[in-house]
Amino acid sequence: MVTVEVVGEETREIDPETLGTDPTYADLVRAVDYSPHEVSVLVDDQPVPEDRAVDADYVRVLRLIKGG
Amino acid sequence: MDCDKCGDEAVMHAAYSGLHMCADHFCRSVESRTRRRVREDNLLPDDASPDDPETWLIGLSGGKDSVVLTQILHDTFAEDPRVELVALTIHEGIEGYRDESLSACLDLTDDLDLRHELVTYEEEFDLRMDDVAVEDPMDMAPCAYCGVFRRDLLSKYAAEYDADKLLTGHNLDDEAQTALMNFFEGDVEQMAKHFDASLGAFPGAADGDGDRDGTPTRVSTDGPFVPRAKPLRDVPEKEVALYAQLKDLPAHITECPHASEAYRGEIQQLLFDMEERHPGVRHSIMAGYEDLAAMAARAYRDGGGPEYGECERCGATTTRAVCRKCSLVEAVQTAD
Repeated sequence: MVTVEVVGEETREIDPETLGTDPTYADLVRAVDYSPHEVSVLVDDQPVPEDRAVDADYVRVLRLIKGG
Repeated sequence: MDCDKCGDEAVMHAAYSGLHMCADHFCRSVESRTRRRVREDNLLPDDASPDDPETWLIGLSGGKDSVVLTQILHDTFAEDPRVELVALTIHEGIEGYRDESLSACLDLTDDLDLRHELVTYEEEFDLRMDDVAVEDPMDMAPCAYCGVFRRDLLSKYAAEYDADKLLTGHNLDDEAQTALMNFFEGDVEQMAKHFDASLGAFPGAADGDGDRDGTPTRVSTDGPFVPRAKPLRDVPEKEVALYAQLKDLPAHITECPHASEAYRGEIQQLLFDMEERHPGVRHSIMAGYEDLAAMAARAYRDGGGPEYGECERCGATTTRAVCRKCSLVEAVQTAD
C-alpha cells in the first residue's frame, strides 16, 4: 500500500497493484483524481518526476494554486 | 531517474520535450526561457541607457507566479543600470488571504532590496472585495469586479511611477486558457486586442513594420495605456510552482476564497486532459494563436486601435463616458 497525502485535503491508501504493471507516480496521482499537470509529487520532501516508477510507501501531493 | 544534462537525480520530467532534469538544470532552464522571452519581445529597447533607464513595474501579488517573475527579473537586471524595477502589490480587502500574501511580498522585496509599493481597494475605492463578494450588485463572479479594479490600479500606478512597461506573472497555462476562451467565444477582435496589449514583441528601431526575429511585433500599442508584457508565458504553471519550491521563494500558496472563474476552470481541465494525451499542446496552441492574433491585430487595428477619451469621473483612459471601474464602484456603493 502507498499512503498518498494530498496536502491540505485528504490522505488515501492506494494499492499499486490496482494501477497496472509498473505504475508510475503519474498513475498514483490519477488514482487520487488529479492530473499530473496540476500537482507536484514529493517523496521525502523532494520533487520526483511523474514518470518514475512508484518506489516509496509515503507520497505527498502538492496541488497547484491558481493566481499570481 | 537521471538528469539528461548531467546525470544527477532528476526532479522533473517535461513530457513535451522528453527531458528529465535535476534541480539545477531545471532552474537554469526556467531562467533561460524567461530571459529569451524578454529578448524576443524586445522588452529592453536599444536606446535605454544608465542616463535614461527603463522603469518596469511588476505586479507582485505574492503568489508563485509573480514571486518567480520578480526573482528572475531581479537576478537578471539588478546590476543593469538600464533597468529600474518597482514592485506593486494591490490589497483587495480579502481578510487573511491577501494579508498573508502581502507578507510574502515584503519578505521577497526586503530580501532583494527592491522598491515595493502597496495600494488598497479600500483607500482607492472605499470598498473591500469581501463585501463586494457578498453584495454582488451586478450578479457577477467576484473575479469580474476584482479584475476591473486591479487593472485600473495597475494602469494608474504604472503611469504614476512613470513606468515604461507593466510586467505580470502570467504563465503558459494562463495564456493557453485565454487563447482557447477567445476561440470558443469566437472573439477575433479580442484576439487582436490581446496581441497588441501583451503578446506581440515591441518594435525595435531597426525592425520597421516587420517581425522581430520571427516574433510578430505589436501593430499599435494599447492607446495611452502603459504597455504590458508577460515574460513567464513560455513556462508551464507547474514548472513555475516547482521553481518557487526549489528556490525556497516566499510564495504564498493559498487559494483566493472568492475564486470563481468557472468557465476558465473548465478550459483548464480540458487543457490538462489534452496535455496528458498530446504533450506540447499548450505550446502549439500558443504558437498558432500568436500568429493568428497578429493577423487579427493587423486586420482590426492597423488604423491605431479604438478612440480613447477620459472617464468623466476619475479621468482614467477609457472608450466610454464613465469607465467600467467607476460604474462598478458606483454599483457597489449604491448597494451598501
